[in-house]
Amino acid sequence: MIRARQDLCVAIFLLMFCSVMLWASYDIRDLGYPGLKPETWPRFLLILLSGLSALYLIRSLKSLKNPEAPSEDAAAHLGFWSKYKNAVWCFALFFLFLFSLDYIGMLIGGMLFVFSQLTVLGEFTRKNIILHSIVAIISVGLMWLIFTYSLRVHLPAGEIFAAWQV
Amino acid sequence: MWDIILQASNNILFDPNTLLLMGIGVIAGLLTGAIPGFTIAMGVVLTLPFTFGMSATQGVATMIGVFVGGLSGGLMSGMLTGIPGTPSSVATTFDGFPMARNGKPGLALGLGVWSSFFGGIISAILLVALAPQLAVLGLEFGPWDYFSLILFSLTITASLSGKALLKGMIAGILGLFFATAGEDPINGMARFDFGWDPLLQGFAFLPVLIGLFAFSQLLSDIEDSKQARRPLLEKSMSAARIEHRQAIKMIFARWGNLIRSSLIGVFTGVLPAAGSSISNILAYDQAKKAAPDDNTFGSGDPDGIIAPEAANNATAGGSLITMMALGIPGDVVTAVMIGALMIHDIVPGPSFISDQPVLAYSVFIAFFLAHFMMVGTQALTLRLFLFATRSPMYILAAIILAYCSIGVFSLHNVQFDMWVMLGFGVVGYTLRKLGFPLAPMILGVVLGQIAELNLSRALSISDDMTLFLSRPWSLFFLILAIFSFSFPWYQEAIKLKRQWASYFIPFAMTGLALPLFLMQGSIRPILAVGLIFAALFIFWKTWKKNKLEKIRSKKDKNLNEKKT
Repeated sequence: MIRARQDLCVAIFLLMFCSVMLWASYDIRDLGYPGLKPETWPRFLLILLSGLSALYLIRSLKSLKNPEAPSEDAAAHLGFWSKYKNAVWCFALFFLFLFSLDYIGMLIGGMLFVFSQLTVLGEFTRKNIILHSIVAIISVGLMWLIFTYSLRVHLPAGEIFAAWQV
Repeated sequence: MWDIILQASNNILFDPNTLLLMGIGVIAGLLTGAIPGFTIAMGVVLTLPFTFGMSATQGVATMIGVFVGGLSGGLMSGMLTGIPGTPSSVATTFDGFPMARNGKPGLALGLGVWSSFFGGIISAILLVALAPQLAVLGLEFGPWDYFSLILFSLTITASLSGKALLKGMIAGILGLFFATAGEDPINGMARFDFGWDPLLQGFAFLPVLIGLFAFSQLLSDIEDSKQARRPLLEKSMSAARIEHRQAIKMIFARWGNLIRSSLIGVFTGVLPAAGSSISNILAYDQAKKAAPDDNTFGSGDPDGIIAPEAANNATAGGSLITMMALGIPGDVVTAVMIGALMIHDIVPGPSFISDQPVLAYSVFIAFFLAHFMMVGTQALTLRLFLFATRSPMYILAAIILAYCSIGVFSLHNVQFDMWVMLGFGVVGYTLRKLGFPLAPMILGVVLGQIAELNLSRALSISDDMTLFLSRPWSLFFLILAIFSFSFPWYQEAIKLKRQWASYFIPFAMTGLALPLFLMQGSIRPILAVGLIFAALFIFWKTWKKNKLEKIRSKKDKNLNEKKT
């Protein structure tokens, strides 16, 4: 039942996504050259996707009407926060890491990201905090050194470091 | 020819840098394969950022090292703990674990390692022999045929999603659609950029792949806090001494099983999207059926180790055949390799072997060499594996996520790619949780532009759509696509013992004979005749069997009626 409801929501979302994208496909300019027009292929895919999403919607509606239908892995989807807490934390921390990258750079940002993620996912004890700090400094520091000096990639230094360098 | 082989050997065998990179790749692959929760595809994806600074040869050779190492690494944890390191070594645990538990861990590991080696070498020989031949066939392909081939690859990927066929198809089309964002490959017109400049470049392949695959996989691994905080493997293990000599003797005594399983592996690998996770179980099943006494299976039978391990390594050779000859990825790993080659401005396709002969032969040599390296580094990796499994998953996940972000940034030196990775990480994780298979989506992203380019080329040459049906190769792939698409229903019908299911294979054979008849030369029409005769034979046999069953059931019915 829970999976059927989820499927219904996903099908509706997919149909909405297709509608928005189909509408956006009318903004694609056509230069009038012969052959495949720039909007034809994506529009064809969107129409196909809409058809399949409609089928998906019908299926999920059918399984909603039929409560005896086997609900695959339904129990696993109970308790959203307790189940997906770690994933949400990871996404949030990664978002913050990317957001702060311009200011604090890859080296410090990366270390802070690894440290905060380890602390959120692991247990919050004094011993762990020391361990997490060491792991964060060594792992990100090593990666930073390899990419900067061995692979010659210019990783973002961050405004703080840039000001310090000046 | 010899010049090319010499040049390729120089690039691989006599270049210490390449040898070192390959060695590191093999060890990394063995570890990735051995650690439960990590997959080979993830190992290859994570290797990709390091290959940007390398030459195309070094990059592909390193990835082949990881690929081969990963396929062989899964057996370590499977045999020592009963938990397979990767899906490709699931069947290995059926007999490997009991044999190790019965006091023969060294022999079990030896059988696994050497079966992997011999399976890989057999597939490498087939790769060298078949890929150039298949590429010659591929040169006959026009854009119509190539487009139909991509369609077939996508349908087979979706059909392998099992019960989630609809979800597999949706995922595949979503992948194709995501590949359309940015400038269109023909006229350079902006599509779905919503007036935002970074989107004009579209989604780069690597951030999409890492987001969809690695990001979502890592998050799935750390979902359960308690589990994530425990060491990867809590069961006590000790490094066993691998018994090489006895294992080789036992394998040679069972050469039939080795060759059969290797061929199953190669065949599975050649099919687009059917990877080693399928071949190892198929080979195990066939070994069990072929054994004079299958009662020993499941309790430490050597055949039960040889079959899956030979098959899973042989799958790598099979998928490389399709990648090199046709430019179609055999699985997610070869999809990543295609992405890596594209970064070096090399587009695999039917002309790949003739256009880039040195690189092609370097791949052949690297594939052979990787197997020798795998055997040589097993003992060392076994100790590293025991060390690595003491750390908890959440520590590895956090470090790998940081590494992913640096790797993705290093692709184009733009932060937008990191945002793309995050976005696709959310998409991948959500889809995974909702039961959508990710493999069709990844193949869709890889094949999207190639499909559009070929469709465009086809329509530029002629706007006659019937060419898709009248050109033999195109028709051949379309018929294959129809049958692969209906394959899940066929499987279902077999389970339900529906009568039409018994006619599915002869119908497919007859259908495929039609385009073969239309092809030039004499061999293919002869093959078509052979196919029709074989189909007629199966059809007649099935019809006879069905008729007999009908008569029997009628008799039973009459008897029952008389009794009542």
